Amino acid sequence: MTRHPRERGRRMSRRAFLARAAAGAAALPALPSVLAACGDGGSGGRDVAIDPQDLSRPDNPVTLPLVGEPISDGLEPEDGPLSVFNYAEYVNPATLRAFERRYGVKVKVTSFNSMDEARSKLNAGVGDFDVFFPTTDVLARVVARKQLQPLNHSYLPNLANVWEELQDPFYDRGARYTVPYTVYTTGIGYRRDLVPRPPEAYETPYDILWDRANRGRTWLLDDDREVIGMALLRRGVTDVNTEDPKLIARALRDLQALDEAVSVSLSAAAYEKLPSGEAHVHQAWSGDAVNARQYLPEGTTIDQIGYWYPPDGRGVVGSDTIAVVAGAAHPVLAHHFLNFLLDERQALENYRWLGYQPPQRTLDPDRLVAEGLVPEHLTSAVVRPEDLTAGSQLLQLTPDGEKLWDAAFARFKSGA
Amino acid sequence: MPERTGGRRTARRPRALWPALAGPGVAWLVVFFAVPLYAVLAVACGRDDAAGDPQPVWNPLRWSLGRRAVPELGVPGDGFRGVWAGLGDGTFGPPALRTFVYVGIALAACCLIGYPVAYYVARHGGRRKGLLLGLLLAPFWISYLMRMLAWVNLLQPDGYVNDVLDAVPGLSGRTWLDGGPVPLVLGLIYGYVPFFILPLYAALDRLDVRLLEASRDLHAGAVRTFLHVTLPLSRQGLLAAAVITALPMFGDYYTHDLVSPSNRTTMIGNQIEAFLRQGSGQRTGAAMVVVLAAFLAVLMVYYLVSTNAAAREAR
Repeated sequence: MTRHPRERGRRMSRRAFLARAAAGAAALPALPSVLAACGDGGSGGRDVAIDPQDLSRPDNPVTLPLVGEPISDGLEPEDGPLSVFNYAEYVNPATLRAFERRYGVKVKVTSFNSMDEARSKLNAGVGDFDVFFPTTDVLARVVARKQLQPLNHSYLPNLANVWEELQDPFYDRGARYTVPYTVYTTGIGYRRDLVPRPPEAYETPYDILWDRANRGRTWLLDDDREVIGMALLRRGVTDVNTEDPKLIARALRDLQALDEAVSVSLSAAAYEKLPSGEAHVHQAWSGDAVNARQYLPEGTTIDQIGYWYPPDGRGVVGSDTIAVVAGAAHPVLAHHFLNFLLDERQALENYRWLGYQPPQRTLDPDRLVAEGLVPEHLTSAVVRPEDLTAGSQLLQLTPDGEKLWDAAFARFKSGA
Repeated sequence: MPERTGGRRTARRPRALWPALAGPGVAWLVVFFAVPLYAVLAVACGRDDAAGDPQPVWNPLRWSLGRRAVPELGVPGDGFRGVWAGLGDGTFGPPALRTFVYVGIALAACCLIGYPVAYYVARHGGRRKGLLLGLLLAPFWISYLMRMLAWVNLLQPDGYVNDVLDAVPGLSGRTWLDGGPVPLVLGLIYGYVPFFILPLYAALDRLDVRLLEASRDLHAGAVRTFLHVTLPLSRQGLLAAAVITALPMFGDYYTHDLVSPSNRTTMIGNQIEAFLRQGSGQRTGAAMVVVLAAFLAVLMVYYLVSTNAAAREAR
């Protein structure tokens, strides 16, 4: 499964480990996870079969079928409370409070830690949610299960603030069900003061991850799609959704060579490992580099954190969406909420706290630096509209493809 | 026997009472062991639905050993077939081997550290026994997680351990958290040693002092008394301590995640966790849980048999 920066980024945080440590105390390993897994998808009807032709790709845009009717124009927003179903800590609480003040309603956030968890809750019909934050790779399945309602764009004038590329995205032509929320890239975070050479000094910058000079200090994201995808990109394979076993096998061999050279560690907490100096080089999401300043120990400054993303934009890029849940009790208010988050000022305030960037037209690197949101040397962590077209996105695979990727990653992790 | 008069009434009550007392325990076992184990089996022997998502199969008659591999597509087998293949292709073999080595070293170290402590508290604790026991239990007041993260802080490049070592010529600038197994094994020992000491203490505390005195009366020295009396008599305690610590260590995955999340130190528990989190690998992960549980059950049976034998001998 593709993992979302939010899912893994915060999930592996110290706080999250509390829950896992408690679970691990049982003598039977990982039993609770299995039990949790049992709930997945089992109860809520069946998924539709996946035809490879139906997988949305930039060169295979998908128009999601209309299920149900959008709400009519010109309705008054309901009284609330608005029920939001979102990743943990994925909206600035101050932004939520601003919405509450503006509309005189309460906003109730229910959080989830992974898209799997969120989907199984929706499938089980637990909770009456108005707003949901689906990732692009599950969109087709969520719509097929009639869990979202089509949007009425007359309530969403702020959609015009969003990058053109995302107003009519390939995963949801015509933005029938979703509006974009955040964009992010996957690159290489590094300690400018501790690595002998920065990534751009290598002929192939990814080679910094293979450099013995950083042995014991090199980290990769704990995510099969990101890690194998990176190995593919290094070899010039830009189709990071390939299901060609030969390419995957070669990527695995390359990664095993990397492990041999640098004795790699895995985490999804680059925002913390780089500031602490545990990692000198860490494959990282753009949000990690931006958020690192919240984790700097005394004596370390943000100047010491670097982030490399291919200057030609041919790296891994991703985007997130917001949608209105089918059968929502407050659909008009939910539309207003979507529109509120797309408001330029609110989006900026949200970003200040969140670290994951909203795809707003006016938020270019210069503006973000001027606003003091991103230090000048980290503008490489700012996503530009052209990155979306130049970059590759990690998207839904066929079930067999998923198994192929997962098995290769398990081999890599075994350290054999 | 005069005290048996009127025994009929008292005798009838226990017949309903004693089994009833086992009720909560049985209910606990059924709800938190039997049902989950069945659920694990249902996942391990399940099938994919139309969309390729693994689903549990609840009817044992329809259980399967897992999907066969499709080599030309590079698609691996899963479920028990996946475990079998994984033991051969390096996915499970090296982590399993590593787990054995780490648990073995950690157990030996627990024994070396724990035995003297338990012995001292049980035999020489005197009036301070309560205090000493309290101190042994003190780590439990702090979450395992916190104690492990403390190791990260101690061992990191500018951590306290290096601050101290930097003062010693020749030992400065050591890197600990470089993905090697040392911090992981340290973490295992540190995390589990209290579990080792307590059962051992209980066994040593019950040791019949008269036997030791008899040994000394028969002119055995302190060493011979220890080797020929104390140690054999504490064998059951050692075994219990080893079982109580080894079982959770075999399934441990968070010590690795916290102190040494590198591929070189991946344990079997980490591979299980990774498979279970994948979605597509759930069946293989669940099958591996069953295989590991079966293996640990063998250890457990050995322990029970040996305890029973010891109990029979004692009688």
